[in-house]
Amino acid sequence: MNFFFFHLMPWPNLPPPREFLRQHEAAWVTLPNTLYDPDAGARLYERYLDELVAAEELGFDGVVVNEHHQNAYGLMPSPNLIAAALTQRTERVKICVLGNALPLYNPPTRVAEEFAMLDVLSGGRLISGLVVGGGPEYYSYNVNPTEARGRFREAVDLVLRAWTEPGPFTFEGDYYNLPYVNPWPRPLQQPHPPVWIPGLGSPSTIEYCAERGFGYMGVAYYAPPESFGRQAAHYREAVARARRPYDPEKLGWLTTVYVAETDEEARADAYEPLAYFSGNLAAGFVGAGKVWMPPGYIDAPALVQFLDDLRSQAANTGDRREATFRRNPLVGSVETVRERLLALVEEHRLGTVLALMSFGNLAADKARRSMELYAREVVPWVRHRADAWFEEHFPQHASA
Amino acid sequence: MMTATLADGRRVEILRLGKGEPLLYLHGLADVHSVLPPEEPPAALTLLGATREVVAPAHPGYEGTEDLGPHADPEDYAFHLLDVLDLLGLDAVDVIGASFGGWLAAELALRHPNRVRRLVLVNPLGLQVPGAQPGLFFGAAAPRGIGGFAEVRSMLFADSSSTVATATLPDEMSRERQLRWFGGLAGAARLGWRGPELRNPKLRGRLRRITAPALVLWGERDRISPVAHAREWEKRLPDAELVLVPDAGHSLPLERPDVTTDWIVSYLAHPSRL
Repeated sequence: MNFFFFHLMPWPNLPPPREFLRQHEAAWVTLPNTLYDPDAGARLYERYLDELVAAEELGFDGVVVNEHHQNAYGLMPSPNLIAAALTQRTERVKICVLGNALPLYNPPTRVAEEFAMLDVLSGGRLISGLVVGGGPEYYSYNVNPTEARGRFREAVDLVLRAWTEPGPFTFEGDYYNLPYVNPWPRPLQQPHPPVWIPGLGSPSTIEYCAERGFGYMGVAYYAPPESFGRQAAHYREAVARARRPYDPEKLGWLTTVYVAETDEEARADAYEPLAYFSGNLAAGFVGAGKVWMPPGYIDAPALVQFLDDLRSQAANTGDRREATFRRNPLVGSVETVRERLLALVEEHRLGTVLALMSFGNLAADKARRSMELYAREVVPWVRHRADAWFEEHFPQHASA
Repeated sequence: MMTATLADGRRVEILRLGKGEPLLYLHGLADVHSVLPPEEPPAALTLLGATREVVAPAHPGYEGTEDLGPHADPEDYAFHLLDVLDLLGLDAVDVIGASFGGWLAAELALRHPNRVRRLVLVNPLGLQVPGAQPGLFFGAAAPRGIGGFAEVRSMLFADSSSTVATATLPDEMSRERQLRWFGGLAGAARLGWRGPELRNPKLRGRLRRITAPALVLWGERDRISPVAHAREWEKRLPDAELVLVPDAGHSLPLERPDVTTDWIVSYLAHPSRL
């Protein structure tokens, strides 16, 4: 089992969701950057970096950062800079950049270069996440969204060839033409660092990961809880179709986690930060407000389905609290989170859990206490049982 | 509707209606093929069909017309239209281009002036005019989780709550209409996403190559292309007449079908241009 600590580096100082959505259409693309306060921002980066460093001290297997632009959701337009800092402040943990949005880099060999540097600087600890990039990024960077998928697939091929094929060589594609591909340095890990791709459940992404032998990291927190089960089943089937052995650690689940002394305390602490996360920060690609989903980024039938799902969720007048905790099941006491997590691991044959623990506007002390409880009380308990379970069911891939 | 195969092997969908001498109609951002189904064309096309056969192909990426692939630029669209004219056996034809279609009409006419007899441009896109910043259409067209399409309607129509605006882009859109609308936006984005949005910076200096007499019809309250653009078209086209229509916006043919067709019919009927 892999237990990773995932950070988005959110901006925590927006007005409460209702007030916020009266004043602004979304937290992305056009949210005025005058709302970003330089002094508070400097303190925040310090706090967030400390949390990532603490994850190593607490025994997590890895830390995860990611890339977003012009938004309050995640303050890492360049996750590689944070990863570079982490190479110097940690010694043992895997460092996963999940990931670089390849179509935003021209040429994408820039990603091959920077990831190789991070792999070297970390002593071979990099996990390279390669992503299409979210819809809003295509507005912010003015990359043609109708070319997103084509550019992404071609750029993945280019990056992997740049790492593995002796240079110099010539690359000629539909989108990228490079007469001399010959990056220095090459990665320390040979033939190349592991590749993980995050996804919201698109069947073509899941199949692509399975066919290429990439890890698939399903993002859970916007979808109904049963959605991840479908993604996991699809991934396992696609791996079998590709005639590859199933490696549970290549299936990841990206989820919020909050642990406190009791279920009641955990729910009381986590509710507002979760509501801030989904109501404020994610406004812009989910929710009732503006959805920065550019034309052609996904095909029209997929977009219509996506909007239908959004509308039925937004129109759901049921208990918002209960709905929030259904989407975020790992909020509770040590016992609750232990049992739920182990059950999910076994149900979905899930070998990697990416825990988002400093989410929304959660206070620093609460985030730290929850990290400690999770790392000391939940992770070892689940790891022990999950490793035994995987040893029994997938002996060729169980962790040592 | 007819489905045909172009010389390069791509499929194209073409709406043909009315009787008489063929007239090529190049559709806009909110028009037949982009949001209205071919069986319910805008009233302006039906009115034009009383005297002319209106031939309205769906642009690449729209309806069932196959797109032009990566890197398609204005020249590819001009070649595409040339293939459409060849397919239909049209030698020199009158061309009406509205909105996005007006841009394409100009790209065709400046490269192949012998194929365009007379030109009618209705609130065309495509022109970059220093100091006259256009409205950001693709941002306005980003959907909302709840709340419908008011923002993009206000870009496309002088009055976003008018009957024609809400009938064209209703807040509650059928699945079929949503598929056509979002599919069409992707068609426009293929060519028009790259900055400057929905414009070709090289077009302005090339308009002098258009030899056809041109009527420039402009809904004055266009929030995508401000009226300064209308004056620039008039100034740069060698033989142009500009008509400003008050109380109409970017979607002039939908908002004022009677006025639009009256101007077009009388312009094309004028003896000096026959």
